[in-house]
Amino acid sequence: MSLYEIRNLAVDIAGKRLVEDVSLTVEAGQCTAIIGASGSGKSLSCLTPFGLTPGTASGSTKLDGTDLRTTDARHLRDIRRRLTGFVFQQPLTALTPHLTVGAQLQEATMQAGSARPSRRDLAQKLERVGLSRPDERLDQFPHRLSGGERQRVMIAAAIAHGPKLLIADEPTSALDASLRAEIMDLLDELRAEQGLAMLLVSHDLASVEGHADQLVVMEKGRVVETGPTAAVTASPAEDYTRRLIAATPRLDEAVPKLRQPDGLLVETRGVGVEFPRPGWRRGKVRAVVNAHITIRRAESLALVGGSGSGKSTLGRAIAGIGPVTQGEILWEGVPIPERRKRGLEMRRLIQPVFQDPVASLDPQWRVQDIVTEPLRNLRPDLTKGERNEMARRALSNVDLAEDFLTRLPVSLSGGQAQRVAIARAIIAAPQLLVLDEATSALDPLVGAEILKLLVRLQVENGLSLLFITHDIAAARRLCHRIAVMEEGRIIETGDIQAVIGHPRHAVTQKLVAAS
Amino acid sequence: MAGSIPECGKGEALLKRHFPLVLVLVIVTLALLLPFLLPWSYDQINWDAVRAPAFSGSHLFGTDEIGRDRLARLAAGTRVTLLVAIAAALVSLIVGIAWGATAGWIGGRVDEAMMRIVDGLYALPFMFIVILLMVVFGRSILLVFVGIGLVEWLTMARVVRGQVMALKQRPFILAAEAAGTPSMTIILRHILPNIAGVALAYLMLTVPQVVMVESFLSFLGLGVQEPLTSLGILVKEGADDMDMAPLGLLLPGGLLVLILVCLTIEGERLRDRFS
Repeated sequence: MSLYEIRNLAVDIAGKRLVEDVSLTVEAGQCTAIIGASGSGKSLSCLTPFGLTPGTASGSTKLDGTDLRTTDARHLRDIRRRLTGFVFQQPLTALTPHLTVGAQLQEATMQAGSARPSRRDLAQKLERVGLSRPDERLDQFPHRLSGGERQRVMIAAAIAHGPKLLIADEPTSALDASLRAEIMDLLDELRAEQGLAMLLVSHDLASVEGHADQLVVMEKGRVVETGPTAAVTASPAEDYTRRLIAATPRLDEAVPKLRQPDGLLVETRGVGVEFPRPGWRRGKVRAVVNAHITIRRAESLALVGGSGSGKSTLGRAIAGIGPVTQGEILWEGVPIPERRKRGLEMRRLIQPVFQDPVASLDPQWRVQDIVTEPLRNLRPDLTKGERNEMARRALSNVDLAEDFLTRLPVSLSGGQAQRVAIARAIIAAPQLLVLDEATSALDPLVGAEILKLLVRLQVENGLSLLFITHDIAAARRLCHRIAVMEEGRIIETGDIQAVIGHPRHAVTQKLVAAS
Repeated sequence: MAGSIPECGKGEALLKRHFPLVLVLVIVTLALLLPFLLPWSYDQINWDAVRAPAFSGSHLFGTDEIGRDRLARLAAGTRVTLLVAIAAALVSLIVGIAWGATAGWIGGRVDEAMMRIVDGLYALPFMFIVILLMVVFGRSILLVFVGIGLVEWLTMARVVRGQVMALKQRPFILAAEAAGTPSMTIILRHILPNIAGVALAYLMLTVPQVVMVESFLSFLGLGVQEPLTSLGILVKEGADDMDMAPLGLLLPGGLLVLILVCLTIEGERLRDRFS
């Protein structure tokens, strides 16, 4: 008998059926992963049986022989307390900000009725999840820890009372690529060691492969396909699963055919960016130090690194929307001024695209006004009719129908909004696009389509791309070369296939291993 | 939720939900129309009916101690009070947005300096300054404006500055910069439309505050000049004569409370929606 079993689960919220006919099992010591796009109902299916969402569940859910649906609220709370542990996506919001790590861990340990743990016990628990200097950590508050450390504390708290089932809802999505693998490995170890059953929720197939025993693929509130992970990924039965697998970038897929780059376009020479330290303290934060990168015509350069490595700051400096405090940026050998001093012709040649597609469109403007904004400033010679004609062409260039012109950003999906943002970026015929995590916030299928679109634009128009990302596998699909950043410095550059094949620097090795 | 309201009852539901606003609009309409409907003007004295009780002849609410029609004076007082309130609120809106948006957009030292000025003005004993102004320059409705305007824009400036600083970091503002949009255009076309909701909410909350301040100044005898009147003056006159004619206090007092409560409810609703 399985430890946890869901049969024909349906979830309704406010009279609307959002999840239907979900069945899955989790065995002790094994991991079942639910994957699907955002809004596919994967979190609802996991959390609703435990009363953790506003929805009502119907169907049968059996945990360790008890039917959760027939028990009353008090008994349900009791089961939740004793038998289950939860790990959520945002480790900072999931930890109580005013309690020290030790206090949270103590509360978690005692939730199932065990005696007050000694300080040594607590330190051991932290050590078990791979935190250095555990004794010191016990007295720290969550905001002092890094994202990866917080997630380790979350995991320590989730298993502190010895649960039988661990439910992890996107446990690694908010973390850097290199940390993801570490956290997933930790979860694997704990599972093997304590015989935990684990139910994992993720939108990213790549991050659960090699960790999950069973795979459940969900789409639009229904289970599309289910089976052992290896079998599903090797020979997917359903079209949706096939598309999902094809959309997930991996390092071992065929080398993509890209356009041959021409002469040198942009070069940064010893570029540094410093910010004044926030608050009253004096001093500076050096976000970028002595950065040399080059981009040729029709070439795409991947700028890769963890969060806080300075890659976005460097990208913004090149795009003319962030400061440059040292060094210079050369365009075809000629220095170009920074930020506000940059002329309109230079602005026309370099355009940015951002991570959050919805936030990068003014919510009050219609798509037509958004897309033609660069033309109004950079091409004052055009009439209104010509501008609108170009907007139509730019939309069709990013595969959007003409009737999107009159829509407002609220009515666009993430992928559509990102297409509009790309249309705005390419409408004035730039030569370089700075793409700041342009696909990271999108669902895998949508992200893959945007990647395809970018490759097409590059092949057709000879655009150069600066592709800022933490995902090496995605970068490999469209980039010629790669530059790896760490703590503001460029630590490795070279041909992307060569670097992935033989990473020299430890940070690069970690990033490659994590993909 | 909105879908559950049947089509035909939509207007009715809206009316019910915004009952306070509707009530204020009714009061304003009455205050504007009554001078044309009543046989008496607010400064006209009926020597035959001094201290007339309510419902006597053409005086619906009676007359005051020198024979002026209470209803006409109530309408006139409401007009003046709301006029002062709306004008002062608009002035505070314009000054506050200009100041706050400038400080938030430029940032750095300029922002520091501008916001310290705001803090300094906050610290001034406002009543004391208004009384000084009145003593030096004499009573005038203009000074009431100046006095009220001096304080009411401060909150608006702080709110707007915070909003602008948050918006400035948003990618669509950066995209506009990359598209070569001049700073002034970014402020006018991207930033102001996006803070309009919050600004409107605070405007709604400023109006009752100004009504309060104006009435208080008038009650102290520092407001508008006789025979022109305002709700504050009417409350004061009524309070002087309350043992003889309680209606003279209850009517303007009740109206004042009604207007204040209604505007505050609507303003807070708006604020909750936008923040």
